[in-house]
Amino acid sequence: MGKGSKYLAVGLILLVSLVGCERPAEEDAPMPWSHAAQTDVQVIAGGWKPELPYDPPEPGSYTLPVVSAAGGGTVLDTDGKQWELSDLLGDRLVLLTFIYTNCSEINGCPLATAVFYKLKERFKAEPELADKIRLISISFDPRQDTPGAMKLYGGTFSEGDPEWLFLTTPSEEVLEPILRSYGQMVIQEFDEDGNFTGTMAHVLRAFLIDKSRNIRQEYSVSFLHDQLIAIDIKTLLMEDGVLTAQAGS
Amino acid sequence: MKKMSKLHARWIQGSLASLCVLLASVVGFQSAAIADETCMSPYMAKIVGQEDYVYIWTLGKEGVGDGQDKLVTVSVNPESPHYGKVVNVLSVGGRNEAHHSGLTDDRRYLFAGGLDTNKIFIFDVHSNPSKPSLHKVITDFVEKTGGMVGPHTMYALPGRIMVSALSNNKDHGGRTGLAEFTNEGEFVAAHWMPTDEDLRGAQKVGNIADGYGYDVRVLPRRNVMVTSSFTGWSNYMMDFGKMLGDAEAMKRFGNTVVVWDLHTRKPKKVFEVPGSPLEIRCAWGSQNNYCFTTTALTSQIWLIHEDDAGEWHAQAVGDIGDPSQVPLPVDISITADDKGLWVQTFMDGKTRHFDISDPFNPKQTYEHVVGSQVNMTSQSWDGKRMYYTSSLLGNWDKTGDQDEQFFKLFEWNGKELVQKFAIDFYAENLGRPHQMRFGAYSLYGQKPNSKGTMLSQWVE
Repeated sequence: MGKGSKYLAVGLILLVSLVGCERPAEEDAPMPWSHAAQTDVQVIAGGWKPELPYDPPEPGSYTLPVVSAAGGGTVLDTDGKQWELSDLLGDRLVLLTFIYTNCSEINGCPLATAVFYKLKERFKAEPELADKIRLISISFDPRQDTPGAMKLYGGTFSEGDPEWLFLTTPSEEVLEPILRSYGQMVIQEFDEDGNFTGTMAHVLRAFLIDKSRNIRQEYSVSFLHDQLIAIDIKTLLMEDGVLTAQAGS
Repeated sequence: MKKMSKLHARWIQGSLASLCVLLASVVGFQSAAIADETCMSPYMAKIVGQEDYVYIWTLGKEGVGDGQDKLVTVSVNPESPHYGKVVNVLSVGGRNEAHHSGLTDDRRYLFAGGLDTNKIFIFDVHSNPSKPSLHKVITDFVEKTGGMVGPHTMYALPGRIMVSALSNNKDHGGRTGLAEFTNEGEFVAAHWMPTDEDLRGAQKVGNIADGYGYDVRVLPRRNVMVTSSFTGWSNYMMDFGKMLGDAEAMKRFGNTVVVWDLHTRKPKKVFEVPGSPLEIRCAWGSQNNYCFTTTALTSQIWLIHEDDAGEWHAQAVGDIGDPSQVPLPVDISITADDKGLWVQTFMDGKTRHFDISDPFNPKQTYEHVVGSQVNMTSQSWDGKRMYYTSSLLGNWDKTGDQDEQFFKLFEWNGKELVQKFAIDFYAENLGRPHQMRFGAYSLYGQKPNSKGTMLSQWVE
């Protein structure tokens, strides 16, 4: 079996397990985080689907207000090199999210990574825009997600534009102020004996950050869709004069 | 330390790529209901099991206890030794016309508004769910929003709270708007309601665009936001009897519902819905593209719905009690399966259950007198527990022996409501209970005696 077939097989297995845990259609508002009060019902977020279920707005037909200043802090790239996070903002529009590699919640980190992947694929067709965008995935599990682990996780995803950085931090102490600055709540889960289960409940968030290092949009599970994010990105590119209204649409 | 293997990493990459492709090709992916109080924002973390606490935003009353507005915490988990008891009281200083409250999407903070002073109190409910603390007070709501008055509904959006206001600082009438704040209480943006003079690109379906506001709800899957309309400061702070006798004042009630583009925050359609449409509840089902509202003065149920062509409409679909008697429908609550709608009527103190299996033809199936007056309700996700409070507005509540002020829990067995406990808020020197919100240890990885810890549980 070739590599592609192997991946397809794995995907199929995942898909079967995904369908198997579904229940009759009721609700399209997915669980924003993984464990707080979950039943045995698994909801599939809209971000897994190819198209938005409504006609999206035209890029530039609306404004994205400044929400707050994007946070900074010390991070490590996949080679272990230390960076100030704010130095990775400012030269490009940035879409930033927090993940951890052991995350198995379908509407959590896998969704974020899948949507980033689809966004990257989408902008490959627009190379004049792709080099103005950076994707950043930061681990909130520095104990397990070493730079090497993030390198393996990111793999070939990081190649080409839009640039995609997989970052971690030296320690939880260094990570905490970064999480705090983005309002990212993370709960470590322990078993009855007090041992860390490796599972971390969290609210999935992604942040669109402009070249002035301001957060202009936040996405949670119900919002996280590559089509919508691409429109928001183009809206900011039009604001920067990089893109015209005609080209944007 | 456990390290990720190359195989594991390759598996993830391959799986994600394949999964994206496969999911893109699969038709008919459906999803299922997961939520908490059935009227909450779909962006919000959910409690689907037993709630541990109810946080009750309570109006202060002169001569009752300290007379201040307060957040009252009641233990509601039957396993608690304090079940049915007030476990915490947090007074905020003075009276602000405490009214509505809402939790942030991560349920760490509870925003609670004062309709008179325009303050918004932000409570930390996650550090210790049994003992909320006052985290911050927004005191410049009017200034930041460019003149909005009366912060009412606090509705969770991703990382933000959408606040619908009731009035303005120019004439203290009903023209108003929406304002967005971060979960930390920092102002983000203001959006004024469309008016006859400035429709802001909206289509006026009826004869008016009054610019009034009250509630706000969203249907994310349709990119739709819906707002309703009440009345301004000059009325909601007036004595109720005096207002009823003031013909000019009675003209100053909202008669519109607005459907917005949620993502762009632009109004799309202004519907004429006479009689002050108040609370809005949108259906949860993935194919149920509609919301309900009820009109306070005309006692009707209205359906705001999308047709197959994607056009939105508003139509009256039923009466509540005898409209000629003005029972004054106030709060409503939709069931998780979209089959039931609970409607509270203030004047007769009743809660009514409507079968809304056919949303175009609601049928009342049950009614029960909760007390001499009733206003707000909160329903557990499973629909088995119904909580009620009594107060409407400081100057609109009944007087004398009709002025019961209570918090009550009923169990709903599908046929009748069975009272489990009641707390007399006057006897407890608390005041006038208004809106309720649920809290649960499970939201924060906690249980009493749990060893779970919150990595990002910081002290500001």
